[in-house]
Amino acid sequence: MSRVTLDRRAGATSRPARRNGRGPRRPASRTEARNARTAAVFVLPFFALFGLCFLAPIGYALHQSLFITERTGPLGLGGRQREVFAGLANYAQALSDDRFLTGFGRVLLFGAVQIPLMIVLATALALLLESASARGVPFFRSAFFLPYGVPGVIASILWGFLYVPGISPLVKIAGDLGWDVDFLARGTVLWSIANIVTWQFTGYNMLVLIAQLKAVPGELYEAARIDGAGAWQIARHIKIPLIRPALVLTGVFSIIGTLQLFAEPMVLRPLASSIDSGFTPNLHAYSEAFVGNNQHAAAAEAVLLALVACVLSFGFLRLTGGRAKGRG
Amino acid sequence: MSNRSVHRRTVLGGAAAVAAGWALTGCGDSGDGGGGNGDGTAPREREKGQKIGLTFWSWVPGIDKPVDLWNRKNPDVQVTVEKVSAVNGQQYAKMHAAIKAGNPPDLGQIEFPVVPSFLLDNGLLDLAPLGAARYKDKFFGWQWQQSVFGKSVYAIPQASGPMGLFLRQDLFDKWDVPIPRTWDEYETAARAVRKKGAWIETFAPTNGNRFAGLAWQAGAKWYGTHGDTWTVHIDDEPTRRVADYWESLVRQKLVKTIPDRQNAWYKDLQTGAIPAWVGASWGDALLVGNAPGTQGKWRAAPLPQWKAGEQAHANWGGSTTAVFAKARYPKDALDFAVWLNTDPESIGLLIDGGYGFPSAKKGYATTDLDVDKDFFGGQAYSKVFADAGAHVDTSWRWGPGVDTLYQRLGDAFTDALADGSSFRSVLTKVQGQTLADLKGKGLKVASGG
Repeated sequence: MSRVTLDRRAGATSRPARRNGRGPRRPASRTEARNARTAAVFVLPFFALFGLCFLAPIGYALHQSLFITERTGPLGLGGRQREVFAGLANYAQALSDDRFLTGFGRVLLFGAVQIPLMIVLATALALLLESASARGVPFFRSAFFLPYGVPGVIASILWGFLYVPGISPLVKIAGDLGWDVDFLARGTVLWSIANIVTWQFTGYNMLVLIAQLKAVPGELYEAARIDGAGAWQIARHIKIPLIRPALVLTGVFSIIGTLQLFAEPMVLRPLASSIDSGFTPNLHAYSEAFVGNNQHAAAAEAVLLALVACVLSFGFLRLTGGRAKGRG
Repeated sequence: MSNRSVHRRTVLGGAAAVAAGWALTGCGDSGDGGGGNGDGTAPREREKGQKIGLTFWSWVPGIDKPVDLWNRKNPDVQVTVEKVSAVNGQQYAKMHAAIKAGNPPDLGQIEFPVVPSFLLDNGLLDLAPLGAARYKDKFFGWQWQQSVFGKSVYAIPQASGPMGLFLRQDLFDKWDVPIPRTWDEYETAARAVRKKGAWIETFAPTNGNRFAGLAWQAGAKWYGTHGDTWTVHIDDEPTRRVADYWESLVRQKLVKTIPDRQNAWYKDLQTGAIPAWVGASWGDALLVGNAPGTQGKWRAAPLPQWKAGEQAHANWGGSTTAVFAKARYPKDALDFAVWLNTDPESIGLLIDGGYGFPSAKKGYATTDLDVDKDFFGGQAYSKVFADAGAHVDTSWRWGPGVDTLYQRLGDAFTDALADGSSFRSVLTKVQGQTLADLKGKGLKVASGG
């Protein structure tokens, strides 16, 4: 959230400056050179951090993914080991691993159901809170946003208690009503996780949408009302089309977040016999790295994951982008 | 894929020709005078009177007490304990990462099954050149052997976990179910318990550790070596027998399939919904800690046998104190590891902390181990585990990549429970995967049989 706004602001302020620089060429005056130097000093920390925290790890992962470890010595123990270039072997292995691919299928299914649900919910909440004039609005806004403040791991532990039979009041109440629910069964556990994610992020997305709604000029509503539009029509024909960029943004965030699904299954795994080590691609890569101690394979899987995230989010942007871009 | 393994095999073949077995490794290591660090940094020798510090990563409850004692007695060699999390094998992930990053601690707590995985990483120091062999007789032979490969000694054993059957005597009495002595009787008991609305226990699909113990009892030998080749025998007769047995209990719905050692399971233990647990000696601390309301109602019984009157037993868990390859003062580290696990005072403190069954032969009495006698209704329950420990099949060996194996087993059992495929198919699948995993690690492997 904060990153997005910052980026935007940076874009807004740097654009005029850039235009000046690109203006008709004339000999650079001393002040301009100094300005450029000052700018470089200010920009440098960003690029240094960007390189260090973003580009370097990606480069390292790419590099790691192309190697395998070779061991020599009797029984492979106590001998020498060295890294050997293996080309795309790690990728081939990842792509022929059923569990890894199933994990991908699982998160895609998850995303196809959970993302629309969450965004519809977030939009509904945003519209409701935006149009309400009661005094409780700030309170509700904070209340809906609050789950986002709970780290994913804690949220999963919290929900875990509500899912585990024998401890969960929910399971008990359902049982008393003669309804036998198992939140952690093979078929339901994915949706139990979807519930955690929805709980956590609906408020966050709502806030992004409210921010955009606030930017809509009031005259538009006034004009619509004069034309006789009702609240529903205003929402349908004015508000939703105008917050389209924010909707696209939350969509992209959600797609990326879905593919990165990790903390929830990781935390629920010891509680549920239904979550295997490759439940999501991220979990699979984690197991590969930290259980199998095979960082090279894990790196390849991480790169594949990043690629899919890239393709899906840019694909989504393209799909929805045409009109949204114009408003950018 | 295939291209890669062929390449590896050639490389390995060449290496095998040069090194030709274990004997040479031993000699080679003693040749460079103090353990191969692999990267040429020679471990240092402490000068007389020099003060040094060692770091020790462990998760054993109460480990700081014996370490404090050592620090009081040895002002020159101060050991610092850093607690690591033992949840989901996180401690090993951390250790492997530290080895890769080149900054491991001097000593670490490592369970028997994963010792070979660390050797694969060249993570542990061979203690044989430091004269470790002279401590051999202080420990139970088979436990000492767990970290011996060829002539190399890679860790000092600390504790083992002989298996037994924990049960709620009060409920078994109330329901008039006799304590099962054989697996057949266990099934009968399970049926009787189920009639009373409870489940005798759970078959946790993701607990590969316990399944290995049960296979061990039945006579399986999952890992072996043949020349410089590893052999893997997960899909063998004894293991199939164990798999068939538990599959039948699961399919008859005589056991639960929830994971063990987590909240729902503890709750079931507290309420009596699960009145038994095939566990290990260190399980007493778990029961005491998580079902305090059932004080006095538990008993320990020997592991049920496949044949009445037999004495086949197994081990679940058990750990060692290992010295990492990069240890700066290997000799002092070894001295500390040996002291920690043999000194009577140290063992006393470790037992108080609930660390398992000592690997040292001397320095404690079996009765010392009955720390929670009240909880077990006054039963001298350690005798049960001491007897089991004396009858463990000591030829069992662990191989590299056991953590991956457990994960594979867990995944395959999870699948089998969901889609109804047989437990035997789990073994076939995991056997194949384990062979592939070891090959993928650049090892020579063969299917045992």
